Amino acid sequence: MIALVAFRVAAYVRSHRVFQALLPLLVLISILHAGRAPRGAEAAALTDSAVLVIPLLAWATRGLLDTEPDEQRAISATGVGGRPREVAAGLLAALVTCAAFAALTLGSGLALGLSATPSRGVVAAAAVVHALAVLAGVALGALTSRPLMPSPAYSILALVAGFLTMLLVGASPVYWLTVPVTAWMKAAGAGRLVSELPGLAAVSLAWCLAGLTVYWCLRRSRP
Amino acid sequence: MGSISIVRFFIATMRAALYRYSTMWLAQVSFRYRRRDRYVIEAAEARLGPGDVVELTGPNGAGKSTLLRLLAGLTRPTSGAVTGRPAVVGYVPDRFPTGQPFTVAGYLRHMARVRGGARWEPWAERVGLDGFSGVRLRELSKGTAHKVGLVQALMAEPGLLVLDEPFAGLDRDTRDALPGIVTEVAARGGIVVASDHQGGLGMLDGVRRWSLRSARLIEHPPASPGDPPDRLAAAGLAGPRDAVTVEVSVPARELDGFLRRMRDDGYPARALTEEEAT
Repeated sequence: MIALVAFRVAAYVRSHRVFQALLPLLVLISILHAGRAPRGAEAAALTDSAVLVIPLLAWATRGLLDTEPDEQRAISATGVGGRPREVAAGLLAALVTCAAFAALTLGSGLALGLSATPSRGVVAAAAVVHALAVLAGVALGALTSRPLMPSPAYSILALVAGFLTMLLVGASPVYWLTVPVTAWMKAAGAGRLVSELPGLAAVSLAWCLAGLTVYWCLRRSRP
Repeated sequence: MGSISIVRFFIATMRAALYRYSTMWLAQVSFRYRRRDRYVIEAAEARLGPGDVVELTGPNGAGKSTLLRLLAGLTRPTSGAVTGRPAVVGYVPDRFPTGQPFTVAGYLRHMARVRGGARWEPWAERVGLDGFSGVRLRELSKGTAHKVGLVQALMAEPGLLVLDEPFAGLDRDTRDALPGIVTEVAARGGIVVASDHQGGLGMLDGVRRWSLRSARLIEHPPASPGDPPDRLAAAGLAGPRDAVTVEVSVPARELDGFLRRMRDDGYPARALTEEEAT
Protein backbone atom coordinates (compact mmCIF):
# COMPACT_ATOMS: atom_id res chain seq x y z
CA MET A 1 0.00 0.00 0.00
CA ILE A 2 2.94 2.34 0.68
CA ALA A 3 3.99 1.92 -2.96
CA LEU A 4 0.53 3.06 -4.07
CA VAL A 5 0.74 6.06 -1.72
CA ALA A 6 4.09 6.97 -3.33
CA PHE A 7 2.58 6.51 -6.81
CA ARG A 8 -0.32 8.84 -6.04
CA VAL A 9 1.87 11.55 -4.49
CA ALA A 10 4.28 11.25 -7.46
CA ALA A 11 1.38 11.62 -9.91
CA TYR A 12 0.11 14.67 -7.99
CA VAL A 13 3.51 16.35 -8.07
CA ARG A 14 4.48 15.37 -11.63
CA SER A 15 1.11 16.52 -13.01
CA HIS A 16 1.88 19.97 -11.47
CA ARG A 17 -1.51 19.92 -9.74
CA VAL A 18 0.44 20.39 -6.54
CA PHE A 19 0.97 24.04 -7.53
CA GLN A 20 -2.80 24.66 -7.57
CA ALA A 21 -2.68 24.41 -3.77
CA LEU A 22 0.93 25.34 -3.06
CA LEU A 23 0.91 28.75 -4.76
CA PRO A 24 -2.24 30.04 -2.96
CA LEU A 25 -0.75 28.64 0.26
CA LEU A 26 2.42 30.68 -0.22
CA VAL A 27 0.33 33.79 -0.94
CA LEU A 28 -1.70 33.14 2.23
CA ILE A 29 1.44 32.71 4.33
CA SER A 30 2.93 35.90 2.89
CA ILE A 31 -0.19 37.94 3.73
CA LEU A 32 -0.72 36.38 7.16
CA HIS A 33 2.82 36.93 8.33
CA ALA A 34 3.55 40.22 6.53
CA GLY A 35 3.43 41.90 9.94
CA ARG A 36 4.68 40.01 12.98
CA ALA A 37 2.05 39.28 15.64
CA PRO A 38 2.57 41.38 18.81
CA ARG A 39 3.86 39.80 22.03
CA GLY A 40 1.08 37.81 23.73
CA ALA A 41 -0.83 37.15 20.47
CA GLU A 42 1.24 34.14 19.37
CA ALA A 43 -1.51 31.57 19.91
CA ALA A 44 -4.08 33.70 18.05
CA ALA A 45 -1.76 34.21 15.06
CA LEU A 46 -0.87 30.53 14.77
CA THR A 47 -4.51 29.40 15.20
CA ASP A 48 -5.72 31.87 12.55
CA SER A 49 -3.26 30.41 10.06
CA ALA A 50 -4.40 26.86 10.93
CA VAL A 51 -8.04 27.78 10.25
CA LEU A 52 -7.39 29.73 7.05
CA VAL A 53 -5.33 26.92 5.57
CA ILE A 54 -8.19 24.38 5.83
CA PRO A 55 -9.85 25.19 2.45
CA LEU A 56 -6.45 25.00 0.75
CA LEU A 57 -5.80 21.61 2.35
CA ALA A 58 -9.24 20.45 1.18
CA TRP A 59 -8.42 21.77 -2.30
CA ALA A 60 -5.11 19.88 -2.22
CA THR A 61 -6.84 16.66 -1.15
CA ARG A 62 -9.46 16.98 -3.87
CA GLY A 63 -6.76 17.68 -6.45
CA LEU A 64 -4.67 14.72 -5.34
CA LEU A 65 -7.56 12.26 -5.32
CA ASP A 66 -8.84 13.51 -8.68
CA THR A 67 -5.44 13.31 -10.40
CA GLU A 68 -5.90 9.57 -10.91
CA PRO A 69 -8.17 8.71 -13.89
CA ASP A 70 -11.15 6.48 -13.03
CA GLU A 71 -9.75 3.47 -14.90
CA GLN A 72 -6.41 3.87 -13.13
CA ARG A 73 -8.26 3.68 -9.81
CA ALA A 74 -9.59 0.30 -10.95
CA ILE A 75 -6.10 -0.84 -11.97
CA SER A 76 -4.67 0.38 -8.66
CA ALA A 77 -7.38 -1.43 -6.71
CA THR A 78 -6.61 -4.77 -8.35
CA GLY A 79 -2.88 -4.13 -8.01
CA VAL A 80 -2.96 -3.36 -4.31
CA GLY A 81 -5.36 -6.18 -3.44
CA GLY A 82 -8.82 -4.65 -3.24
CA ARG A 83 -10.90 -1.49 -3.18
CA PRO A 84 -10.53 -0.80 0.58
CA ARG A 85 -6.74 -0.65 0.28
CA GLU A 86 -6.99 1.64 -2.73
CA VAL A 87 -9.28 4.01 -0.80
CA ALA A 88 -6.96 3.88 2.23
CA ALA A 89 -3.92 4.60 0.03
CA GLY A 90 -5.65 7.67 -1.41
CA LEU A 91 -6.47 9.02 2.05
CA LEU A 92 -2.96 8.31 3.29
CA ALA A 93 -1.43 10.11 0.30
CA ALA A 94 -3.69 13.09 1.00
CA LEU A 95 -2.72 13.05 4.68
CA VAL A 96 0.99 13.01 3.84
CA THR A 97 0.62 15.88 1.36
CA CYS A 98 -1.55 17.98 3.65
CA ALA A 99 0.75 17.32 6.61
CA ALA A 100 3.64 18.74 4.55
CA PHE A 101 1.57 21.83 3.68
CA ALA A 102 0.50 22.29 7.31
CA ALA A 103 4.10 21.89 8.51
CA LEU A 104 5.14 24.60 6.03
CA THR A 105 2.38 26.86 7.36
CA LEU A 106 3.24 26.28 11.01
CA GLY A 107 6.98 26.54 10.39
CA SER A 108 6.54 29.83 8.52
CA GLY A 109 4.36 31.16 11.33
CA LEU A 110 6.90 30.29 13.99
CA ALA A 111 9.84 31.60 11.97
CA LEU A 112 8.35 34.73 10.41
CA GLY A 113 5.05 35.62 12.03
CA LEU A 114 5.82 36.21 15.71
CA SER A 115 7.52 39.02 17.64
CA ALA A 116 8.34 36.86 20.67
CA THR A 117 9.18 33.21 21.19
CA PRO A 118 6.00 31.40 22.25
CA SER A 119 5.85 29.05 25.23
CA ARG A 120 6.15 25.32 24.72
CA GLY A 121 2.46 24.91 25.59
CA VAL A 122 1.41 27.36 22.86
CA VAL A 123 3.67 25.66 20.31
CA ALA A 124 2.23 22.25 21.22
CA ALA A 125 -1.34 23.59 21.03
CA ALA A 126 -0.60 25.21 17.65
CA ALA A 127 0.78 21.87 16.40
CA VAL A 128 -2.40 20.08 17.55
CA VAL A 129 -4.60 22.70 15.88
CA HIS A 130 -2.65 22.34 12.62
CA ALA A 131 -3.00 18.55 12.85
CA LEU A 132 -6.76 18.97 13.26
CA ALA A 133 -6.75 21.35 10.28
CA VAL A 134 -5.08 18.58 8.24
CA LEU A 135 -7.78 16.09 9.22
CA ALA A 136 -10.56 18.59 8.52
CA GLY A 137 -9.05 19.47 5.13
CA VAL A 138 -8.60 15.82 4.12
CA ALA A 139 -12.16 14.94 5.16
CA LEU A 140 -13.69 17.93 3.33
CA GLY A 141 -11.56 17.36 0.22
CA ALA A 142 -12.32 13.63 0.13
CA LEU A 143 -16.06 14.22 0.46
CA THR A 144 -15.96 16.60 -2.52
CA SER A 145 -13.70 14.45 -4.73
CA ARG A 146 -14.81 13.09 -8.11
CA PRO A 147 -16.04 9.60 -7.12
CA LEU A 148 -18.60 11.22 -4.80
CA MET A 149 -19.20 14.47 -6.71
CA PRO A 150 -18.60 14.02 -10.43
CA SER A 151 -19.65 17.61 -11.25
CA PRO A 152 -16.70 20.03 -10.74
CA ALA A 153 -19.10 22.94 -10.16
CA TYR A 154 -21.06 21.20 -7.39
CA SER A 155 -17.84 19.89 -5.94
CA ILE A 156 -16.28 23.35 -5.55
CA LEU A 157 -19.56 24.76 -4.20
CA ALA A 158 -19.74 21.97 -1.65
CA LEU A 159 -16.12 22.52 -0.61
CA VAL A 160 -16.64 26.26 -0.03
CA ALA A 161 -20.02 25.66 1.65
CA GLY A 162 -18.45 23.09 3.95
CA PHE A 163 -15.79 25.54 5.13
CA LEU A 164 -18.34 28.36 5.57
CA THR A 165 -20.46 25.98 7.65
CA MET A 166 -17.47 25.32 9.90
CA LEU A 167 -16.92 29.08 10.30
CA LEU A 168 -20.55 30.05 10.91
CA VAL A 169 -21.71 27.12 13.04
CA GLY A 170 -18.39 27.20 14.91
CA ALA A 171 -19.18 30.79 15.97
CA SER A 172 -22.63 29.85 17.33
CA PRO A 173 -23.63 28.34 20.70
CA VAL A 174 -24.06 24.99 18.91
CA TYR A 175 -20.44 25.01 17.79
CA TRP A 176 -20.23 21.31 18.59
CA LEU A 177 -22.37 20.55 15.51
CA THR A 178 -19.33 20.94 13.26
CA VAL A 179 -15.54 21.22 13.38
CA PRO A 180 -15.58 24.36 15.58
CA VAL A 181 -12.86 26.35 13.84
CA THR A 182 -14.24 29.72 14.95
CA ALA A 183 -14.26 28.45 18.52
CA TRP A 184 -10.56 27.61 18.12
CA MET A 185 -9.88 31.21 17.09
CA LYS A 186 -12.03 32.65 19.89
CA ALA A 187 -10.25 30.54 22.52
CA ALA A 188 -6.83 31.50 21.12
CA GLY A 189 -7.76 35.22 21.03
CA ALA A 190 -8.87 35.05 24.67
CA GLY A 191 -5.67 33.30 25.71
CA ARG A 192 -7.51 30.09 26.64
CA LEU A 193 -6.40 27.83 23.76
CA VAL A 194 -4.23 25.52 25.88
CA SER A 195 -6.90 25.05 28.55
CA GLU A 196 -9.88 24.64 26.16
CA LEU A 197 -8.06 22.58 23.57
CA PRO A 198 -8.96 19.11 24.94
CA GLY A 199 -12.71 19.73 24.58
CA LEU A 200 -12.44 21.48 21.22
CA ALA A 201 -10.04 18.86 19.91
CA ALA A 202 -12.39 16.03 20.91
CA VAL A 203 -15.33 17.62 19.03
CA SER A 204 -13.11 18.41 16.02
CA LEU A 205 -11.62 14.93 15.94
CA ALA A 206 -15.06 13.31 16.14
CA TRP A 207 -16.39 15.30 13.16
CA CYS A 208 -13.25 14.67 11.09
CA LEU A 209 -13.47 10.93 11.74
CA ALA A 210 -17.20 11.01 10.95
CA GLY A 211 -16.45 12.72 7.63
CA LEU A 212 -13.75 10.20 6.75
CA THR A 213 -16.06 7.32 7.71
CA VAL A 214 -18.83 8.68 5.47
CA TYR A 215 -16.31 8.94 2.62
CA TRP A 216 -15.17 5.36 3.27
CA CYS A 217 -18.74 4.02 3.27
CA LEU A 218 -19.82 5.95 0.16
CA ARG A 219 -16.77 4.75 -1.78
CA ARG A 220 -17.98 1.16 -1.30
CA SER A 221 -20.83 1.86 -3.71
CA ARG A 222 -19.09 4.54 -5.80
CA PRO A 223 -15.83 3.09 -7.05
CA MET B 1 11.86 -18.52 18.07
CA GLY B 2 13.48 -19.57 14.79
CA SER B 3 11.18 -22.57 14.38
CA ILE B 4 8.10 -20.37 14.98
CA SER B 5 9.29 -18.04 12.22
CA ILE B 6 9.78 -20.97 9.86
CA VAL B 7 6.26 -22.27 10.61
CA ARG B 8 4.80 -18.79 10.06
CA PHE B 9 6.69 -18.46 6.77
CA PHE B 10 5.43 -21.92 5.70
CA ILE B 11 1.81 -21.04 6.56
CA ALA B 12 2.07 -17.71 4.71
CA THR B 13 3.57 -19.41 1.66
CA MET B 14 0.92 -22.13 1.64
CA ARG B 15 -1.84 -19.56 2.08
CA ALA B 16 -0.53 -17.54 -0.87
CA ALA B 17 -0.28 -20.68 -2.99
CA LEU B 18 -3.78 -21.78 -2.03
CA TYR B 19 -5.43 -18.46 -2.75
CA ARG B 20 -3.48 -17.58 -5.90
CA TYR B 21 -5.37 -20.21 -7.89
CA SER B 22 -8.84 -21.03 -6.61
CA THR B 23 -12.36 -21.78 -7.75
CA MET B 24 -14.68 -18.79 -8.03
CA TRP B 25 -18.42 -18.86 -7.64
CA LEU B 26 -21.08 -16.41 -8.74
CA ALA B 27 -24.16 -17.01 -6.62
CA GLN B 28 -27.36 -15.21 -7.75
CA VAL B 29 -25.33 -12.11 -8.65
CA SER B 30 -27.48 -9.13 -9.65
CA PHE B 31 -26.45 -5.55 -10.27
CA ARG B 32 -28.15 -2.25 -10.97
CA TYR B 33 -26.71 1.23 -10.75
CA ARG B 34 -29.54 2.86 -8.78
CA ARG B 35 -32.43 1.63 -6.71
CA ARG B 36 -35.14 2.18 -9.34
CA ASP B 37 -33.01 1.32 -12.39
CA ARG B 38 -33.49 -1.91 -14.29
CA TYR B 39 -31.03 -4.68 -13.52
CA VAL B 40 -27.96 -4.73 -15.78
CA ILE B 41 -27.19 -8.25 -14.59
CA GLU B 42 -29.79 -10.48 -13.02
CA ALA B 43 -29.31 -13.65 -10.97
CA ALA B 44 -26.05 -14.72 -12.61
CA GLU B 45 -24.85 -18.16 -11.55
CA ALA B 46 -21.48 -19.59 -12.55
CA ARG B 47 -18.49 -21.59 -11.40
CA LEU B 48 -14.98 -20.75 -12.58
CA GLY B 49 -12.29 -23.33 -11.93
CA PRO B 50 -8.51 -22.97 -12.16
CA GLY B 51 -7.45 -23.00 -15.81
CA ASP B 52 -10.81 -21.87 -17.19
CA VAL B 53 -10.82 -19.45 -20.12
CA VAL B 54 -14.10 -17.65 -20.73
CA GLU B 55 -15.04 -15.63 -23.78
CA LEU B 56 -17.84 -13.20 -22.94
CA THR B 57 -19.95 -11.75 -25.73
CA GLY B 58 -23.07 -9.66 -25.98
CA PRO B 59 -24.37 -6.54 -27.71
CA ASN B 60 -23.12 -3.08 -26.77
CA GLY B 61 -24.54 -1.98 -23.43
CA ALA B 62 -25.41 -5.54 -22.41
CA GLY B 63 -23.35 -5.25 -19.22
CA LYS B 64 -20.17 -7.08 -20.22
CA SER B 65 -17.83 -4.51 -18.64
CA THR B 66 -20.01 -4.43 -15.52
CA LEU B 67 -19.80 -8.21 -15.18
CA LEU B 68 -16.02 -8.06 -15.61
CA ARG B 69 -15.77 -5.43 -12.87
CA LEU B 70 -17.92 -7.58 -10.58
CA LEU B 71 -15.64 -10.54 -11.23
CA ALA B 72 -12.52 -8.43 -10.58
CA GLY B 73 -13.95 -7.17 -7.28
CA LEU B 74 -14.10 -3.56 -8.46
CA THR B 75 -17.85 -3.29 -8.07
CA ARG B 76 -20.05 -4.82 -5.38
CA PRO B 77 -23.11 -6.78 -6.51
CA THR B 78 -26.49 -5.27 -5.61
CA SER B 79 -27.43 -8.74 -4.41
CA GLY B 80 -25.80 -12.14 -4.47
CA ALA B 81 -22.11 -12.83 -3.99
CA VAL B 82 -18.88 -13.51 -5.82
CA THR B 83 -16.79 -15.87 -3.69
CA GLY B 84 -13.44 -17.61 -3.96
CA ARG B 85 -11.81 -14.83 -5.99
CA PRO B 86 -8.07 -15.56 -6.34
CA ALA B 87 -5.79 -13.30 -4.30
CA VAL B 88 -3.95 -11.84 -7.30
CA VAL B 89 -6.17 -10.20 -9.90
CA GLY B 90 -5.03 -8.64 -13.17
CA TYR B 91 -7.44 -6.20 -14.79
CA VAL B 92 -7.07 -4.70 -18.27
CA PRO B 93 -9.64 -1.98 -19.01
CA ASP B 94 -10.92 -1.51 -22.55
CA ARG B 95 -9.22 1.90 -22.70
CA PHE B 96 -5.95 2.30 -20.85
CA PRO B 97 -5.88 5.67 -19.01
CA THR B 98 -3.05 7.54 -20.76
CA GLY B 99 -3.73 10.86 -19.00
CA GLN B 100 -1.02 10.28 -16.40
CA PRO B 101 2.30 12.10 -15.96
CA PHE B 102 4.64 9.13 -16.38
CA THR B 103 6.74 7.48 -19.04
CA VAL B 104 5.99 3.85 -19.89
CA ALA B 105 8.92 2.60 -17.80
CA GLY B 106 8.14 4.99 -14.93
CA TYR B 107 4.53 3.88 -14.81
CA LEU B 108 5.35 0.17 -14.97
CA ARG B 109 8.03 0.56 -12.28
CA HIS B 110 5.43 2.11 -9.97
CA MET B 111 2.92 -0.66 -10.75
CA ALA B 112 5.61 -3.30 -10.15
CA ARG B 113 6.24 -1.82 -6.67
CA VAL B 114 2.49 -1.77 -5.99
CA ARG B 115 2.48 -5.45 -6.99
CA GLY B 116 5.23 -6.19 -4.46
CA GLY B 117 8.23 -6.08 -6.77
CA ALA B 118 6.94 -7.97 -9.82
CA ARG B 119 9.14 -8.09 -12.94
CA TRP B 120 7.58 -6.19 -15.82
CA GLU B 121 10.52 -6.11 -18.25
CA PRO B 122 10.04 -9.62 -19.76
CA TRP B 123 6.38 -8.92 -20.43
CA ALA B 124 7.16 -5.53 -21.98
CA GLU B 125 9.63 -7.21 -24.30
CA ARG B 126 7.16 -9.93 -25.17
CA VAL B 127 4.39 -7.57 -26.28
CA GLY B 128 6.80 -5.27 -28.11
CA LEU B 129 6.92 -2.42 -25.59
CA ASP B 130 10.68 -2.48 -25.02
CA GLY B 131 11.26 0.35 -27.50
CA PHE B 132 8.79 2.63 -25.74
CA SER B 133 10.28 2.76 -22.23
CA GLY B 134 11.06 6.48 -22.32
CA VAL B 135 7.88 7.55 -24.12
CA ARG B 136 5.27 9.47 -22.14
CA LEU B 137 1.94 7.70 -21.68
CA ARG B 138 0.11 10.68 -23.25
CA GLU B 139 2.05 10.20 -26.49
CA LEU B 140 1.14 6.52 -26.97
CA SER B 141 -1.24 5.27 -29.65
CA LYS B 142 -4.33 3.41 -28.48
CA GLY B 143 -2.81 0.02 -29.27
CA THR B 144 0.52 0.72 -27.56
CA ALA B 145 -1.27 2.10 -24.50
CA HIS B 146 -3.32 -1.11 -24.44
CA LYS B 147 -0.06 -3.08 -24.27
CA VAL B 148 0.92 -1.10 -21.14
CA GLY B 149 -2.40 -2.17 -19.65
CA LEU B 150 -1.65 -5.80 -20.53
CA VAL B 151 1.84 -5.69 -18.98
CA GLN B 152 0.64 -4.20 -15.67
CA ALA B 153 -1.95 -6.99 -15.40
CA LEU B 154 0.33 -9.85 -16.42
CA MET B 155 3.43 -8.97 -14.40
CA ALA B 156 2.15 -10.43 -11.10
CA GLU B 157 1.13 -13.88 -12.43
CA PRO B 158 -2.58 -13.28 -11.76
CA GLY B 159 -4.86 -16.05 -10.51
CA LEU B 160 -7.69 -14.17 -12.21
CA LEU B 161 -7.03 -12.24 -15.41
CA VAL B 162 -9.89 -9.98 -16.52
CA LEU B 163 -9.60 -8.56 -20.03
CA ASP B 164 -12.05 -5.99 -21.40
CA GLU B 165 -11.85 -6.12 -25.21
CA PRO B 166 -8.19 -7.20 -25.18
CA PHE B 167 -7.74 -7.27 -28.95
CA ALA B 168 -8.94 -3.72 -29.60
CA GLY B 169 -6.26 -1.68 -31.34
CA LEU B 170 -3.48 -4.24 -31.00
CA ASP B 171 -1.05 -4.78 -33.86
CA ARG B 172 -1.04 -8.15 -35.61
CA ASP B 173 2.03 -9.54 -33.76
CA THR B 174 0.60 -8.85 -30.31
CA ARG B 175 -2.86 -10.02 -31.38
CA ASP B 176 -1.34 -13.28 -32.52
CA ALA B 177 0.68 -13.59 -29.28
CA LEU B 178 -2.22 -12.89 -26.92
CA PRO B 179 -4.01 -16.28 -27.21
CA GLY B 180 -0.69 -17.94 -26.31
CA ILE B 181 -0.30 -15.68 -23.27
CA VAL B 182 -3.86 -16.50 -22.18
CA THR B 183 -3.12 -20.21 -22.58
CA GLU B 184 -0.02 -19.83 -20.36
CA VAL B 185 -2.00 -18.07 -17.61
CA ALA B 186 -4.64 -20.81 -17.76
CA ALA B 187 -1.99 -23.57 -17.80
CA ARG B 188 -0.58 -22.15 -14.55
CA GLY B 189 -4.04 -22.51 -12.99
CA GLY B 190 -5.25 -18.97 -13.57
CA ILE B 191 -8.77 -18.06 -14.62
CA VAL B 192 -9.09 -15.83 -17.69
CA VAL B 193 -12.30 -13.97 -18.51
CA ALA B 194 -12.34 -11.76 -21.61
CA SER B 195 -15.07 -9.77 -23.26
CA ASP B 196 -14.31 -10.03 -26.92
CA HIS B 197 -16.20 -8.72 -29.94
CA GLN B 198 -13.49 -9.88 -32.28
CA GLY B 199 -13.42 -13.56 -31.46
CA GLY B 200 -9.69 -13.61 -30.85
CA LEU B 201 -9.90 -16.31 -28.18
CA GLY B 202 -12.56 -18.35 -29.97
CA MET B 203 -9.92 -20.50 -31.62
CA LEU B 204 -8.42 -21.74 -28.33
CA ASP B 205 -9.24 -25.25 -27.19
CA GLY B 206 -11.72 -25.57 -24.33
CA VAL B 207 -12.82 -21.94 -24.24
CA ARG B 208 -16.08 -21.51 -22.36
CA ARG B 209 -18.51 -19.21 -24.15
CA TRP B 210 -20.66 -16.89 -22.11
CA SER B 211 -23.06 -14.30 -23.41
CA LEU B 212 -25.16 -11.61 -21.78
CA ARG B 213 -28.68 -11.19 -23.17
CA SER B 214 -31.41 -9.14 -21.49
CA ALA B 215 -29.40 -9.03 -18.23
CA ARG B 216 -29.12 -12.83 -18.15
CA LEU B 217 -25.80 -14.66 -18.20
CA ILE B 218 -25.99 -17.61 -20.57
CA GLU B 219 -23.34 -20.28 -20.93
CA HIS B 220 -23.24 -21.86 -24.36
CA PRO B 221 -22.18 -25.49 -24.67
CA PRO B 222 -18.51 -26.01 -25.50
CA ALA B 223 -17.44 -27.29 -28.89
CA SER B 224 -17.71 -31.09 -29.08
CA PRO B 225 -16.96 -33.80 -31.65
CA GLY B 226 -20.57 -33.59 -32.84
CA ASP B 227 -20.29 -29.91 -33.63
CA PRO B 228 -19.68 -28.58 -37.15
CA PRO B 229 -16.10 -29.39 -38.15
CA ASP B 230 -13.27 -26.93 -38.45
CA ARG B 231 -13.46 -26.48 -42.18
CA LEU B 232 -9.81 -25.50 -42.53
CA ALA B 233 -8.77 -28.72 -40.86
CA ALA B 234 -11.38 -30.73 -42.77
CA ALA B 235 -10.05 -29.35 -46.05
CA GLY B 236 -6.54 -30.35 -45.08
CA LEU B 237 -5.43 -26.73 -44.77
CA ALA B 238 -2.81 -26.53 -42.06
CA GLY B 239 -2.96 -22.86 -41.23
CA PRO B 240 -3.35 -19.28 -42.39
CA ARG B 241 -0.80 -19.71 -45.17
CA ASP B 242 -3.11 -22.16 -46.98
CA ALA B 243 -6.31 -20.28 -46.26
CA VAL B 244 -7.88 -17.30 -47.98
CA THR B 245 -8.98 -14.26 -45.99
CA VAL B 246 -12.19 -12.56 -47.09
CA GLU B 247 -13.70 -9.25 -46.01
CA VAL B 248 -17.43 -9.06 -45.32
CA SER B 249 -19.32 -5.93 -44.21
CA VAL B 250 -22.22 -6.50 -41.83
CA PRO B 251 -24.35 -4.05 -39.81
CA ALA B 252 -22.76 -3.50 -36.37
CA ARG B 253 -25.83 -4.82 -34.54
CA GLU B 254 -25.58 -8.14 -36.40
CA LEU B 255 -21.85 -8.67 -35.78
CA ASP B 256 -22.11 -11.07 -32.85
CA GLY B 257 -24.69 -13.25 -34.58
CA PHE B 258 -22.71 -13.30 -37.83
CA LEU B 259 -19.47 -14.30 -36.09
CA ARG B 260 -21.29 -16.99 -34.13
CA ARG B 261 -22.83 -18.47 -37.31
CA MET B 262 -19.44 -18.51 -39.03
CA ARG B 263 -17.79 -20.22 -36.07
CA ASP B 264 -20.66 -22.68 -35.80
CA ASP B 265 -19.97 -23.52 -39.43
CA GLY B 266 -16.32 -24.16 -38.57
CA TYR B 267 -14.69 -20.97 -39.89
CA PRO B 268 -12.29 -19.14 -37.53
CA ALA B 269 -13.97 -15.74 -38.03
CA ARG B 270 -13.12 -12.51 -36.23
CA ALA B 271 -13.91 -8.81 -36.60
CA LEU B 272 -11.26 -6.39 -37.86
CA THR B 273 -9.87 -3.82 -35.45
CA GLU B 274 -10.49 -0.13 -36.14
CA GLU B 275 -6.88 0.23 -37.29
CA GLU B 276 -7.18 -2.70 -39.70
CA ALA B 277 -10.48 -1.45 -41.06
CA THR B 278 -8.90 1.92 -41.91
